[in-house]
Amino acid sequence: MSKDEKLASEQEAWESNLKSKILQRFPERRPKFDTESGVEVGRLYTAANLPDFTYEENLGFPGEYPFTRGVQPTMYRGRFWTMRQYAGYADAEETNARFRYLLEQGQTGLSVAFDLPTQIGLDSDHPLARGEVGRVGVAIDSLADMELLFKGIPLDKVSTSMTINAPAAVLLAMYIAVAEKQGADTKKLAGTIQNDILKEYVARGTYIFPPEPSMRLITDTFAYCAENLPEWNPISISGYHIREAGSTAVQEMAFTLADGIAYVQAAIDKGLDVDKFAPRLSFFFNAHKNFFEEIAKYRAVRRIWAKIMRERFGAKNPKSWMLRFHTQTGGSTLTAQQPDVNVVRVAFQALSAVLGGTQSLHTNSKDEALALPTEDSARLALRTQQVIAHETGVADTIDPLAGSYFVEKLTDELEAGAWEYIRKIDEMGGAVRAVEVGYMQREIQDSAFRYQQEIENETRIVVGVNKFQLAEEHHEGLLRVDPNIAEKQVARLQKVRATRDNKAVNGALVKLRSEALNGSNVVPCILDAVRVYATLGEICGVLRDVYGEYKPTSTL
Amino acid sequence: MSNPIRVLVAKPGLDGHDRGAKVVAQALRNAGMEVIYTGLRQTPEQIVEAALQEDVQVIGLSSLSGAHMQLFPAVVNILRQQGASDVLVVGGGVVPEEDIPYLKSAGIAEIFGPGTSTKDIADFIRQHFQGDGITLTRVDHVGIAVNSIEASLDFYSTAMGLHCSGIEEVTDQKVKVAFLPLGDSEIELLEPTTLDSPVAKFLQSRGEGIHHIAYRVPDIQLALGQLRAQGVRLLDQEPRTGAGGALIAFLHPKASGGVLTEICQRNSE
Repeated sequence: MSKDEKLASEQEAWESNLKSKILQRFPERRPKFDTESGVEVGRLYTAANLPDFTYEENLGFPGEYPFTRGVQPTMYRGRFWTMRQYAGYADAEETNARFRYLLEQGQTGLSVAFDLPTQIGLDSDHPLARGEVGRVGVAIDSLADMELLFKGIPLDKVSTSMTINAPAAVLLAMYIAVAEKQGADTKKLAGTIQNDILKEYVARGTYIFPPEPSMRLITDTFAYCAENLPEWNPISISGYHIREAGSTAVQEMAFTLADGIAYVQAAIDKGLDVDKFAPRLSFFFNAHKNFFEEIAKYRAVRRIWAKIMRERFGAKNPKSWMLRFHTQTGGSTLTAQQPDVNVVRVAFQALSAVLGGTQSLHTNSKDEALALPTEDSARLALRTQQVIAHETGVADTIDPLAGSYFVEKLTDELEAGAWEYIRKIDEMGGAVRAVEVGYMQREIQDSAFRYQQEIENETRIVVGVNKFQLAEEHHEGLLRVDPNIAEKQVARLQKVRATRDNKAVNGALVKLRSEALNGSNVVPCILDAVRVYATLGEICGVLRDVYGEYKPTSTL
Repeated sequence: MSNPIRVLVAKPGLDGHDRGAKVVAQALRNAGMEVIYTGLRQTPEQIVEAALQEDVQVIGLSSLSGAHMQLFPAVVNILRQQGASDVLVVGGGVVPEEDIPYLKSAGIAEIFGPGTSTKDIADFIRQHFQGDGITLTRVDHVGIAVNSIEASLDFYSTAMGLHCSGIEEVTDQKVKVAFLPLGDSEIELLEPTTLDSPVAKFLQSRGEGIHHIAYRVPDIQLALGQLRAQGVRLLDQEPRTGAGGALIAFLHPKASGGVLTEICQRNSE
């Protein structure tokens, strides 16, 4: 009998002794324990639970294939993760003030939230923009707004993440144009555009065009960035919103990776060299409630992506194998009841992201189930990261939970679950097809409904919501977005339209239309158009004409 | 009701967060209702059009983007213009507490915020269509507006033989109240303490006389919810503290044929 076999039989004996004697008198809290994803959690883990585990194959060294332990060789011993709080509301001036405040408070990267009309490529005076201007982010209509947004912030010195998808190429072009005006070296521009349209169809809803031309726009930005913006991440392939829409951890991993596969394939099909663009692909995940499951998720997802890139796509550059990711704590885990408790939730979630080796992190503010965060609550959220970084010591050694029998077993199980979904989606014809037939949407919907039922029948406890409630609650000091912001923004837009060179604008838009029609890379034309102050709505209007608009599949 | 209740779940505005809308839609369906989901990015006009076309009795609106203050009332207004004000409109999403009174006064019957159980939503809708009235246990008191309590007591004590059990000033109502118990109920004499008191205005326009009638309810929160579900207009969306420490709320006089009506809950029950 080998050492492992001996341990396995001893463990079995221990369990059966427990069942026959102790559990009769001291029953456990639940007949069965599982994670949020429904992965069963055992009573005890030992080496016997990891019969096929080898250090080299399962883990490797930090900065080396398969990157389970992290993508950088020194991880946080070299430098902490980037503390990047997502911010943006009202108009460019107010958001600029919030950015400067956050930088003064020690934040190390910017993250722009745009309002919904901007995200859907509509100008602020469009009828559909009613009630939405400046609500969930900053309203950007033209280069003039972008200039105000980054006023006094040298763009070659900060890194900026922009949560923008369908019109990502336009906002990126505006960013480049502002940098040019500042006299910055555009080769040094660092940052990310989200640019992940597939998850918009699945979970987030800010789509404009149908999948096929959307994928073309995305590969256009890949090609443009590979050539002109070597430090820029042209996509952030996002599981965050998939999770927020109610998916399990396994679905979050699998659907994100399936989307990633679709983008890589589309770029390769367009003739791009995988090792040219793949090193700049970035990812974005959620930090949800089940602590160990989240840590295992980040480790597993790195390992799967490394295998996909090396084995499936034959990438040679080790940088192409690395899954670098941003994390945000789970917005849907925040409760409107007893919002102070959210500070505690966020701290645990943030800790899981750090223990999972995230490259950057946004911590949610406690008041976000009630309104946009106030300056005070956003600062407290940032301070939470700073405490983890500077006070807990968890960042002083790399991947500290590696070798935990439980964490390794869970990492393996999540990986297996994700592969199963990826295979299913491959069989369906890939992520684009799976989106079109509503497969991912339905899977997520089912998980979300199951979760809600578990809360309502109290098999899942949410502190303050279905247990430990307070009789009466009053919430004060919430952020109010100025209701007159729309008028102000529309006035600024009209002034731009009146004072720009309208002949140049028309010329640029005509050129954009013809390039879009003949299928060449549209990013240079978009850049020309924003330089002469063509508006976001005008540019997207041309593309709407050429590409058409997406009509969602009903899944209810 | 023999036919299932028909509900339109709608996403007004540009907000793409439809997890809540879909979960609620599915839960209402499981609760036996017929549910139609509009999908994203609907204008108030489109939502009303869909509601009329589908002949629904309920519209459930969901927005997490902060546009609720404009879009929810717009739906109600268009319904009214189309002569369909009997459609019950409820809402949910990220809606700050302080917005709720406005939304309710604009005709949204109830707002279900984060953490609401889907069962509560289904119950609320069902209650509306079951048409059960609220539970009243007695006439709690009759309020009579007077210029001077002292002068009026001449009549009520001396002539009518009622006993004054106490006089209390209710500062936020700007009124002094004399309590005259009678059986299970009492007569309240209301004397304004300032010129801008609601009772002072009543006296100016109508002179002394019966000001309001108050009914006792066992659970005022429940009663308010039921009244709202019945489409009854309310002056007070939430209960407040009245004379004698009771929780009180006034209905809109237009809802009750010109009689100012109060419901009240007393702690002794």
